[in-house]
Amino acid sequence: MGTEVSTSPTSLIDQTVVPGDVVLDLSNMTNQTIKLGSGLFQDNDAISAMRAGKLRYTKPNKYWVESSHKRYIPRPEDAVLGIVVDSKSDNFWVDIKGPQLALLPVLAFEGGTRRNIPKFEVGTLLYVRVVKTNTGMNPELSCTDASGKAAGFGPLKDGFMFETSTGLSRMLLSSPTCPVLEALGKKLSFETAFGLNGRVWVHAAAPRVVIIVANALMNSETLSGTQQRIMVEKLLEKISE
Amino acid sequence: MEYVNPEGLRLDGRRFNEMRQIVAEVGVVSKADGSAVFEMGNTKVIAAVYGPREIQNKSLQKKNDHALVLCEYSMAQFSTGDRRRQKFDRRSTELSLVIRQTMEACILTELLPHSQIDIFLQVLQADGGTRSACINAATLALADAGIPMRDLAVSCSAGYLNSTPLLDLNYVEDSAGGADVTVGILPKLDKVTLLQMDAKLPMETFETVFALASEGCKAIAERIREVLQENTKQLEYRRAA
Repeated sequence: MGTEVSTSPTSLIDQTVVPGDVVLDLSNMTNQTIKLGSGLFQDNDAISAMRAGKLRYTKPNKYWVESSHKRYIPRPEDAVLGIVVDSKSDNFWVDIKGPQLALLPVLAFEGGTRRNIPKFEVGTLLYVRVVKTNTGMNPELSCTDASGKAAGFGPLKDGFMFETSTGLSRMLLSSPTCPVLEALGKKLSFETAFGLNGRVWVHAAAPRVVIIVANALMNSETLSGTQQRIMVEKLLEKISE
Repeated sequence: MEYVNPEGLRLDGRRFNEMRQIVAEVGVVSKADGSAVFEMGNTKVIAAVYGPREIQNKSLQKKNDHALVLCEYSMAQFSTGDRRRQKFDRRSTELSLVIRQTMEACILTELLPHSQIDIFLQVLQADGGTRSACINAATLALADAGIPMRDLAVSCSAGYLNSTPLLDLNYVEDSAGGADVTVGILPKLDKVTLLQMDAKLPMETFETVFALASEGCKAIAERIREVLQENTKQLEYRRAA
């Protein structure tokens, strides 16, 4: 049984692929630049999928495999929620659910100098930005945006953090606003932080609001827009009785 | 004893080239990053994958720029007819090594340097072909965890009794004293990653039995692809338009 190669690039787009599926055959496409995103790798002339997911394509030449998993692969400029596991003189070691622990330099804060180094206990939840991800090195984080301002990054106090998949995080961060967040926002007042690494933080004045929001978000991964709105309505009805 | 009757039926009513029923399910262990249950007839195996995560024991790391793959195979004490005395014996150590080598060949370890991938395999019911079921379950669990793989590793066994090659031996046929050939292949790349045999076979007979096992592997690969595609469709998150 030989390999089934899609000679025309359009045949597997928006289809589910599994590891080993050849999605593009480069020998048929000369003089083209192709950008490979996550989930694809090159084996001589064949581009194969290495994850199970949906093959996506945007013009002019970007291909990638979209999938949802519990672990996270760090990419620069991602905003993630990390947990401090150790602090050294130069860096904090932060767990971001990736293949390696990440480093947060003690000076990577707005107005950070050697005199005002923050003290984070082990277990502190931080909203951080991924700065560098070189292969073989631990990823580097920062609590400032690209221009050096705090922009909301830093420790998250109180509230409740739960873990989900990377797919749900991406959905909650998509624009226009995801239906479940819209529906919840109409009736309840709460604060959230979403990490692309599958961690979500919710904070509100009353604990019952935190629980409602957390449950609604956890249930919404596989629901369509209408189903999400119905689910939130039913949840709020039950609570108001 | 007659393992194949004159009409060509085996002890459980199968023909020589019929496999046992396959049942597979993904995402069964909620704590694990990836998990799967794989059943071949009465043989039932559960696989749980943790990773890629930070290396726990640096002394185990042999190849610096590759992920460390650890595998543990164990049989539950209730998995066989008579309650097993020890969970870990020489056979378990050998199978752990063999399965680790098979999966390591399939995982793109160079993409995740300085990280660790743990594969735990537990046999819940043993009725022959446990190592094949374990490899198939591990492939599903690794795909569920989103660990990059070059192809799906699939495995099947075949034997030779009453002068007939037989596909997918169960425990009774396996203990009959004939040869038992276990084959592990990467179907799209058409490469063999595992080949084990106990007892002896003449070369021509071996080639027939090997070809039969490979056919069985291809059928299992189809089934595994279906299960992964089903699972991916269910997990699909809604993209903003």
